[in-house]
Amino acid sequence: MRVVRRRIADGVAIAVAVATVFPIYWMVLSALKPTGEILSADPRPWTLHPTLDHFRSALGVSGFGRYLLNSLVVALAVVALSALIAFLAAVALTRYRFRTRTTILVLFLIAQMVPVEALSIPLFFQIRDLGRTVPGVGLNTLGSLILVQVAFSLPFAIWMLRGFVAAVPKEVEEAAIMDGASRFTILWRILFPLIAPGLAATSVFSFIIAWNDFLFAKTFIISATENQTLPAALLVFFKPDENDWGGIMAASTLMTIPVLVFFVFVRRRLVSGLGGAVKE
Amino acid sequence: MSSSVTLRRQRLTPLWLLLPALAVLVPMFAYPLYQLGLLSTFEYGQPQVSGGEPARFVGTGNFRTLFGDPAFWSVLNQTVVFAAGCVLVTLALGAALAVLMTRIGRVARTVLSFAALTAWAAPAMTGSVVWAFLFDSNLGLVNEVLGLDGYNWLYDRSVAFALVGAVVVWHSFPFVMITLYAGIQAVPGSVLEAAALDGASTFTTFRRVTAPMLRPLITIVVIQSIIWDFKVFTQIYVMTRGGGIAGQNMVLNVYAYQKAFASAQYGLGSAIGIVMTVILLVVTLFYLRALRRTGEEL
Amino acid sequence: MRKLLALPALLALALGAGACAPSTDQPTDSADTKTGTLRVWLFDEANRAAKEAVVNEAIAEFTAAHSGVKVDVSYLATDTRAEKYKGALNDPASAPDVTEVGNTDLAGFVASNGMADVTEQNRSWSEGADLPADLVQTVTVGDKAYGVPWWIGVRALYYRTDVFTSLGLTPPTSYAELVSTARKIRAERKDMLGIAVGGLYTFGALPFVWDAGGDIATGSGGKYTAAIDSPAAKTGIKAYTDLFSADICPPQQCVDLTGGGTVEAFAAGRAGMGILGNFNRSAVEAGAVKGKYGVVPLPGTRPGSIAPAFAGGSSLGVFRSTTHRSLAVEFMHLLAGRKYTLKLYDAMGFVPAMKSGRTEVIAKEPFLKPFVDTMDAGTKFVPVDKAWTTIDAEKILPNMLQKVITGKATVDAAAAEANTQISTALGK
Repeated sequence: MRVVRRRIADGVAIAVAVATVFPIYWMVLSALKPTGEILSADPRPWTLHPTLDHFRSALGVSGFGRYLLNSLVVALAVVALSALIAFLAAVALTRYRFRTRTTILVLFLIAQMVPVEALSIPLFFQIRDLGRTVPGVGLNTLGSLILVQVAFSLPFAIWMLRGFVAAVPKEVEEAAIMDGASRFTILWRILFPLIAPGLAATSVFSFIIAWNDFLFAKTFIISATENQTLPAALLVFFKPDENDWGGIMAASTLMTIPVLVFFVFVRRRLVSGLGGAVKE
Repeated sequence: MSSSVTLRRQRLTPLWLLLPALAVLVPMFAYPLYQLGLLSTFEYGQPQVSGGEPARFVGTGNFRTLFGDPAFWSVLNQTVVFAAGCVLVTLALGAALAVLMTRIGRVARTVLSFAALTAWAAPAMTGSVVWAFLFDSNLGLVNEVLGLDGYNWLYDRSVAFALVGAVVVWHSFPFVMITLYAGIQAVPGSVLEAAALDGASTFTTFRRVTAPMLRPLITIVVIQSIIWDFKVFTQIYVMTRGGGIAGQNMVLNVYAYQKAFASAQYGLGSAIGIVMTVILLVVTLFYLRALRRTGEEL
Repeated sequence: MRKLLALPALLALALGAGACAPSTDQPTDSADTKTGTLRVWLFDEANRAAKEAVVNEAIAEFTAAHSGVKVDVSYLATDTRAEKYKGALNDPASAPDVTEVGNTDLAGFVASNGMADVTEQNRSWSEGADLPADLVQTVTVGDKAYGVPWWIGVRALYYRTDVFTSLGLTPPTSYAELVSTARKIRAERKDMLGIAVGGLYTFGALPFVWDAGGDIATGSGGKYTAAIDSPAAKTGIKAYTDLFSADICPPQQCVDLTGGGTVEAFAAGRAGMGILGNFNRSAVEAGAVKGKYGVVPLPGTRPGSIAPAFAGGSSLGVFRSTTHRSLAVEFMHLLAGRKYTLKLYDAMGFVPAMKSGRTEVIAKEPFLKPFVDTMDAGTKFVPVDKAWTTIDAEKILPNMLQKVITGKATVDAAAAEANTQISTALGK
């Protein structure tokens, strides 16, 4: 009986998995199909004539390598900065009691509720004016994208990391203090490694925010085409009227792969990390 | 003497730790938010922005325009219903699958979690495009398989919302599933064994032991789902081409974006942004209050 | 007590600061450097390579004549174009020197203080006299010219010669014939649309409105009044939306087609007729119906008449914030001149705006005959007012059409609603 139940459960899980992954499979498949097959009135879930033409045309977008590099630089900088800053803030908000603590927490929560699209209006002017005094973070720079996306990933990162910090038993730090460790040592040598899985989990979110961003890429990078990021560059294929589906699917595949690689890379830590917020 | 010094240092430490976060968030978040509030009280269009004309202070004018517009109320209404539907389905599906994950073999579990990761990893933009392609009226696989050639999934308002909702759920259930599964895994085996020894049934153990331990996670998952689904933008924008046939699938975020950017009424767009923030705030505060009543602290 | 008093003071302070807080940016009038990099924005096209080749040739000529000058061209993707322009208007430092601009958008840019007044330069330009007066109107706001018309395009009725021959049909010469022909095609060829029309295809719908004697708005002395709910306009709306029926172009399939969507449907062989532009020829040639189509002017209601077409096309202009004013104007004139507009025609099929250039391409290309007939019969234009950007962006006209097509509103109700929205936009 038990075995049968387990089998059924396994079957359901596999079915759900197949359904979930199917759109992604279809995306990759369509990217590999020759145009004639994509437009055929009788679509098949396989192809006998895979072609790399669509990938070639996507990769042939002039400056593709540069745009890919820009995107990676922005995404990794955002991940690193927001992990670091969020870690410090999360420690402050869990390990210390002070009057404005709850207020600050609620503010971080509110920050996530503001629609980013609306905020991009004032941010545009602010970045413009900032760029006139501080070079490197004005309009048309990668710095502006990093800055804004760190800001947008922080509230959630802090909110999430709090749980992980809370899950580290206070005794660990107390023991370290007894041993005469400095505050700095406690922070970096003891707490930081213990929270690493949590950082991995949070960095997934920061990475996605930064990698997927179209909004700021297209509002801030106006004239400096060399600072374009990948999503904005691949937008060339998303013409509402042309419907070059092969190109679109190849572009989509190229955009999805780095995130997927990042996910698989942090998968283990992600699962153990997300669970870390459970209190003993 | 020495103890008061430590105390002072203790009091200052959190400030130092928070400083980097505040240094980023105050100029890049708080100040623009304040500006957003200001903008919402101005008539501020393209001519004003680029200096052809002076910005005109209109006080609550934008809000009055908004609240006096029946279109706004119908958009608000369908946004709430759509978001609520997405949240409920996402949570139910995510939670059910999280429990399922604990009951299946290793192979199946790996397969399911990998599949979930791919959906999670797919950028909202590409996910929407792929689904739109699958449901395309002429070239789509779905119409072909179902023999519905030429059927337009966006024609009927509810069908279109259901389709977009499915994409939203597809994108967001993995977060719920993996988080809750990870949470269940983190519940110490000793606690569960103790419950079993006391003769508790599986269901009772879940309700009395596992669920309470998961509460902080559930809080995060619920709040995040509400926030994310209420602010859905890309899926609607891409799949229904900016709000559907005659604007029938418009949601608030897209509405604000179009008012602000497409028609360059930045003031009015900002006002909608403010309204959205306030609504989310109220919903979340209600949820948090309900939590506090059950003894949970922020 | 003090706290209570402080609050209003604080509020007043915030509002006071607010009065000047949202920043406005007044571009200073342009400098005129004679060396450096000239930045140019042009539209991306489906076959951009051909356009790029022509432009590169012009650049080579230009840089050969001006030492120390480089020309840097960006091709703007359709989807991000609007943001780019807003960015350029909001941050003069990011604006290019020369830009292509859709002829319907120019008025909005001028109202935003973005474009340079080139009235004088156009007057002294050697080829200036070659510009037709009606097209110069599309770049004129008030009595000043803010650019030069570059190329033009009009739409006419494409039809499938093979289908017409096998069904014994002749191209329609009146609206009534258009309807009956479309019905016949759909009845005989079940998988074909009688005529491909779209609920999002404003420029396909407008000829019907204009033919009935209606208009979006009527203008006098630079002031426009919304007129889409006039009885004549409503007749036109009804004529267009009546084409969305199961026996011509089923609402399910056609209500959310854009102009591009109808091009795609016709090119793929899914429609018996379509309202396409002369600039869509290459797309049709690339499709399944290559060599199996003909073109006639879109017929009006009166037998033998031609429905007025929308005078589409694009213009070139100089941004007011340019630091290379003379160079920018000169490059704009080079691109818009006879030599390169003729080359552009060969590459892209865009008909030159210049009178002499137009005459020349028409003489050598019989394909253009129906389009020229349409132009000669008189074309129409959208209101030359910054409000058009809003009317367009808010999809006021497509929403009106879609409401009628889906049966959500009657022609009267939809037109009345659109009229109110257009009035509001014009009043801003």
